[in-house]
Amino acid sequence: MTDLHPRIAVNNLNKEFRIYERPQDRLAEFILRRPKHRLFHVLNDISFAVADGQSLGIIGNNGAGKSTLLKLLVGTLQPTSGQIEIVGQVAALLELGAGFHRDFSGRKNIWLNASLLGVADEDIRELEEQIIEFSELGYFIDRPVRTYSSGMFVRLAFSIATMVRPDILVIDEALSVGDMAFQRKCVQRMQDFRARRKTMVFCSHSMFHVQELCDNAIWLDRGGIREIGASDKVVGHYEDFCTSKKSYNTIRSDVPELSEQSAAGDEVQDCRINSLWVRDTGGRELSSLTPLQDIVLEMEVEALRDGVEGYFGFAFMKSAEEPVASFLTIDTEGVETGPFDKGEVFTVSLTVRNLTMRVGGYYVLGGLCDDTGLLWYETRYSKLLTVEPSKGIGPMIMPSEWSIRKSGPSAPQGR
Amino acid sequence: MFILIGQWVATPARNRRLFRHFVRQDFLGQFSAAAAGAFWLFITPVIHILIYSFVFSYVFRLREVADFGQTQFVIFLIIGYLPWFACAEAVSKSTNMLLEKAPLITKVVFPVQIIPVVGTLVPYLTHGIGFCLLLAYMALTGHLSWPWLLLPVVFMLQFLFTMGLVAVLSALCVFLRDLQQLVSLAVTLWFFLTPIIYPVTLIESELLRELYLFNPMHSFINLYREIILLGSFSHLQLGIAAGSALFSWLLGGWLFMRIRHAFGDVL
Repeated sequence: MTDLHPRIAVNNLNKEFRIYERPQDRLAEFILRRPKHRLFHVLNDISFAVADGQSLGIIGNNGAGKSTLLKLLVGTLQPTSGQIEIVGQVAALLELGAGFHRDFSGRKNIWLNASLLGVADEDIRELEEQIIEFSELGYFIDRPVRTYSSGMFVRLAFSIATMVRPDILVIDEALSVGDMAFQRKCVQRMQDFRARRKTMVFCSHSMFHVQELCDNAIWLDRGGIREIGASDKVVGHYEDFCTSKKSYNTIRSDVPELSEQSAAGDEVQDCRINSLWVRDTGGRELSSLTPLQDIVLEMEVEALRDGVEGYFGFAFMKSAEEPVASFLTIDTEGVETGPFDKGEVFTVSLTVRNLTMRVGGYYVLGGLCDDTGLLWYETRYSKLLTVEPSKGIGPMIMPSEWSIRKSGPSAPQGR
Repeated sequence: MFILIGQWVATPARNRRLFRHFVRQDFLGQFSAAAAGAFWLFITPVIHILIYSFVFSYVFRLREVADFGQTQFVIFLIIGYLPWFACAEAVSKSTNMLLEKAPLITKVVFPVQIIPVVGTLVPYLTHGIGFCLLLAYMALTGHLSWPWLLLPVVFMLQFLFTMGLVAVLSALCVFLRDLQQLVSLAVTLWFFLTPIIYPVTLIESELLRELYLFNPMHSFINLYREIILLGSFSHLQLGIAAGSALFSWLLGGWLFMRIRHAFGDVL
């Protein structure tokens, strides 16, 4: 994603705040020259670049440092260390209507706000009518801003900020306001912005908007970059992270055995799973999955005594406690259940059609249980399989077909 | 250091449009909030002047002030009081100046140093109008003289002096909000330690009178009175005025520019 001429280049950016227990500590530190603060790291070693004409989405949980990063980009905060290089004029929508004077009319605020954003007077005169029109304020434009509803307020602010046509637009959560019609206009305006190859940095909790409007995305987690890359992928992984109860950090420790060893340990075993793998229908072994793909789960089982009888099962697991889907032969007619003789080796395969998971990482669990279906002889996990997310939202995807039927012009309704 | 001072000095010129919009906003903003708007702005100094005139020229029978050519006490008072009021208002407002603009400072990038400049200019504009009315009256009653040409210079120097003070106080208040109370107390103290409602000659101790030279506002007010009433001025006072103005303006600006980057962290 780095380009020869990045619009925005951020290198090893760090930001920490000094936290004082009491306000007088700040004074004490100043006078006594003895540190009285705790440091709070908001951003740790952030590096990225945004090429000209690209747009970048920033996602992450609350408190991950998104707003701080935007403020640093815009320049209202200074980094503790690291560099930010920005080429071109930046307009920021960090807080809509931050510079508004409540007692003044909307029209006067257009002038004040646009001059804050660095627009020349001649240009403001030209833009004034467009801004008023876009904001749909009509008559209210000459009323004091304090009489506006919050929607009107936001509409005016958004209209001004995007009308000034900066090289780089930085937006923080701007789209979550206004009615549907205005939201649509906002998205349109931002798409225009993209179409004109302007650079945009956009922070939102609306995953849909980030996917739609951004080429790339950064997932911030506790002040660091968790993932950076194409927005579809990053958003997918982030969504998966949010929907699964466990975080990625703990999932591995939840999975009991990832090595070659079996779960049963030293006890005399009835049978053993020698290996387990996931293939596509062509027989190639897979390490990542694609939504709606057909896949084959296979395990090679060896009977360790004579007369082993039982059922087979597979499951998709998010972690050891979180099954997602299971497949058992208990209720399935026509699958061999034994008895198998000692030393006999056989391969169990299960074809799964139309993989419905859209995002996330999963383990495939293979297992054998006794004929009661209650006691598991042996279970085994596959390595982590990641679903490469497709465009869309939500954890699932289903095979689907569209059709649109025209039923002719609508007839006038009878009464 | 010189770069920062240079930026500070050039601020209004380099950000002309923004500066103009800010001044207009603040200046008109004073009027639009209350129904009687402008009325309240001018009535405060007028009421104060009436109170002091009553107490001093009626109760204490200080009808005329001898040092300035037997001037009526009221005239003597007004000449000192109006410029003082501009300075006092700017200084008292300085403590809250950046705090109330916090959303702007943390969310929008603009030259922050424009705020103390505008915050000082607006009271000077407002009370400059009153001062001009006074000058017109004085001119009509036959006090006009050549040294009057110096009046704008003195007024400008007083403005620069105040601006430096405002810059420092407004910046410090971001970190130390207690300063708000301290400053309002200090302004009251300063008022009585400046010979506004009394002529400095009433003080008998020679030493104490010399100490007044350390109060630049005394020099400014003395200059106004000398120029308007006597048509002459003391070079020492002008020197003090010019020196203190430049010192305060440049040092205050430099300090402000030094710490302005920390505002975002604290606000």
